[in-house]
Amino acid sequence: MSKELEKAGLPVALISAMFPVAQQVRANRIVKGVSIPHPCGDPNLSKELDTRLRREIIRTALKALESDVDRPTVFSPDAAMGG
Amino acid sequence: MIKIVHFVNQFFAGIGGEDKASLAVSTSDSNIGTSRALAQKLGDHAQIVRTVYVGDNYFHEHKDEALKEILGVTRSAEPDVLVAGPAFNSGRYGFACVEICNAVANELGIPALTAMHDENPGVALYKEFLNARLFCLPTTESTTGMNDAMTRLANFAVRLGRAEEIGPASKEGYIGRGIRRLVKADRTGAARAVDMLLKKIAGAPFETELPMEEWEDAPAAPRLGNIKDSNIAVVTTSGVVPWGNPDKFKTYRNTQWRKYNIAELKELEAGKWEAVHGGYNVAYMNQNPHYGVPLDALRGLESEGEIGPGKLYPAYYVIPGNQGSPAVMRRVGQEIAADLKKDNVQGVIFVAT
Repeated sequence: MSKELEKAGLPVALISAMFPVAQQVRANRIVKGVSIPHPCGDPNLSKELDTRLRREIIRTALKALESDVDRPTVFSPDAAMGG
Repeated sequence: MIKIVHFVNQFFAGIGGEDKASLAVSTSDSNIGTSRALAQKLGDHAQIVRTVYVGDNYFHEHKDEALKEILGVTRSAEPDVLVAGPAFNSGRYGFACVEICNAVANELGIPALTAMHDENPGVALYKEFLNARLFCLPTTESTTGMNDAMTRLANFAVRLGRAEEIGPASKEGYIGRGIRRLVKADRTGAARAVDMLLKKIAGAPFETELPMEEWEDAPAAPRLGNIKDSNIAVVTTSGVVPWGNPDKFKTYRNTQWRKYNIAELKELEAGKWEAVHGGYNVAYMNQNPHYGVPLDALRGLESEGEIGPGKLYPAYYVIPGNQGSPAVMRRVGQEIAADLKKDNVQGVIFVAT
């Protein structure tokens, strides 16, 4: 699906916990999700930290959309969190 | 004796080339064109009772009509097997062969056989149909392989006519369709898997029992210049939908997408949304739908100016991704892309589960 969007000229930031699969199927901008049942956040964290983590994941996705890539590239929200 | 209907295009029927490509559906009950070569290979084992032929352009320009006519003239000949082609690397012809074989196999309930080069676009359609009654043999790119292709078509058609058991593609030489079969093995899956692993570690060749679909490379779409000035939309396969699942999504193998309005919303309230998906535990997503549609974070970034005001698309797109076939997902992706482009969306945040 995401590749059809890209073919139509729309850059896609693919948030997925299965990023090795995303790489294997050659998605271009891949953002590491937390886990399969909750890619955008972590229910084990406090509400506040969970919200913050989700914000970082989406910021990473926006950054991915602004980035030039020429092969499947994984963007990691952890690095963007800065602690 | 096994009765065969042979389908060919106007060229291989010996009628003419591009100048005759608009020829309507026609039939002959004496072997014309390449049917003669096929009949010769079939010998005494089978008889071509009818040759059906049509112009390459006519078929594509009047597909529904042409298919209906072809089904009619095929049915009335009461064949045991349909053979179409070989189409080599002729795209229009290859497509027509596969379309017709599929329709005849479904409507008449008989096996259908075609042959073409493995890069003929008809092969992609053949794999998409996943039709257990439909077989396609590989050929050379050009007609230089005609004699060999006819021999193999004839042999295979006779086997189909005798209702012989046809084994897997790798053993029988037809192009794999991606149909998974249940077979009895004499050793457990664990033992076979360990065997494979040991071979792999030793660098020895081994044969997987579950080949993965091959994926084409799609070049990356150009990056967004300035995210603040870009229209952004959310697409998700998580299956998050309004509570009560108003569009009756199934938990698996969905074929349609929907979009749901979020224009007036700051967040997705638990209890007003639910996840419909049979491939993961939806409890977390039901407690907090933002795990699939991160609207709270998007609104936050919007208020901080990282996303421009009014730049977040007022709806999100969803199809539960569980067991979606690649062909369906491609079509859904194309449809969503067209819808997004119509509304000038420039970038997509895609949440996959």
